[in-house]
Amino acid sequence: MLERIGARRVLIVAALGVAVLVGTVAATNLASSTVYYLTPSEAKARNIPSKQIVRLGGQVKADTLKVAFGGGGTATFSLVITDGVEDVLVIADGALPGLLREGAGAVVEGAFLPDGTFHADQVIAKHDEVYTAPTVGATPAHRTSFP
Amino acid sequence: MIETTIPRGTPLPRIRPWLGIAAAASFVVASAMALFWAPTDAVQGDVYRILYVHVPLAWLAYLAFVVVFLASVAWLWTKRPFFDAVAVASAEIGVLFTGLFLVAGSIWAKPTWGVWWTWEPRLVTTAIMFVMYVGYLLLRGLSTDFSRRATRAAVFGIVAVIDVPIVHLSVLWANSLHQLPTVLRIAGSPALDTPMLVTLMASLGAYTLVYAYFMSARVSLELARQGRLWTRT
Repeated sequence: MLERIGARRVLIVAALGVAVLVGTVAATNLASSTVYYLTPSEAKARNIPSKQIVRLGGQVKADTLKVAFGGGGTATFSLVITDGVEDVLVIADGALPGLLREGAGAVVEGAFLPDGTFHADQVIAKHDEVYTAPTVGATPAHRTSFP
Repeated sequence: MIETTIPRGTPLPRIRPWLGIAAAASFVVASAMALFWAPTDAVQGDVYRILYVHVPLAWLAYLAFVVVFLASVAWLWTKRPFFDAVAVASAEIGVLFTGLFLVAGSIWAKPTWGVWWTWEPRLVTTAIMFVMYVGYLLLRGLSTDFSRRATRAAVFGIVAVIDVPIVHLSVLWANSLHQLPTVLRIAGSPALDTPMLVTLMASLGAYTLVYAYFMSARVSLELARQGRLWTRT
């Protein structure tokens, strides 16, 4: 029977059918199940317990990026991550990426402390999709040292 | 016995040397533009210039895998060995370009994001695409029977192309670290200054010529292999 229909045509139809199936499954599941980070609102809605490792993403709120120098050459950074609705205070004691700026995006990985602040083991700066030449006389905002 | 030799009526003009020269020349010009002519970025400084390598390679990898898809369909439909040659050539070049743009992206990511790699949607789907097409090439080694090998690879090549649009759309579908599309987007014109866009298009042209040159050489090599295969029996 396969010879009559043509094994070749069956194979093409089957391959395309599998492709559509895989594509649909991937398309519908990718958005919901592979969560790279939660926004502050999503984290609040899900009631993330303290000490559970999670990633938060949002914008660094203006005037919140601060550094406190401790004894022995240590430095602790604090910043507020916001999504426009909810804010989360983040404390980080590792090095910060040079591109991290107020008003730009950031992703932090760590855990909530019982008092609601977030202790970050890793801070990643997010860059938006806009590329512009600097205005005359201005220096690039990329910082090579902090503060 | 399937007719596998290309009928030689009039001899084809030898374009490959010219294609090679054009590819090399445009590559030099585009690289010079990317390194010296394009302005620095207001936020990132000079580290953004890897964009002119990373983006054209990514677009051409997408193109290469779509060519694999088309050639695979054509093989299954017509059973002409020429299309199997095109498929394997394009898959090899696509894997090469994907590996290169993953490395380029990683080099950019460390000073900007702060990490060499992270398992975010765009990077995950791209890694999957890379592994799948490496699998495509390995799959071809499983059989010495020409027709069976070509058919097996063609089916895989048809299924695997689904990941290409998924890679591009992944940043739009989920919270991701990788930035949204700057050029290939629905709303608004490309989000980069005109000199940068010009340099990007020049780079794209150069890398496209490189792809075409590689394809020309590789397909010709594969056809020669096929010719030797058939004359031995």
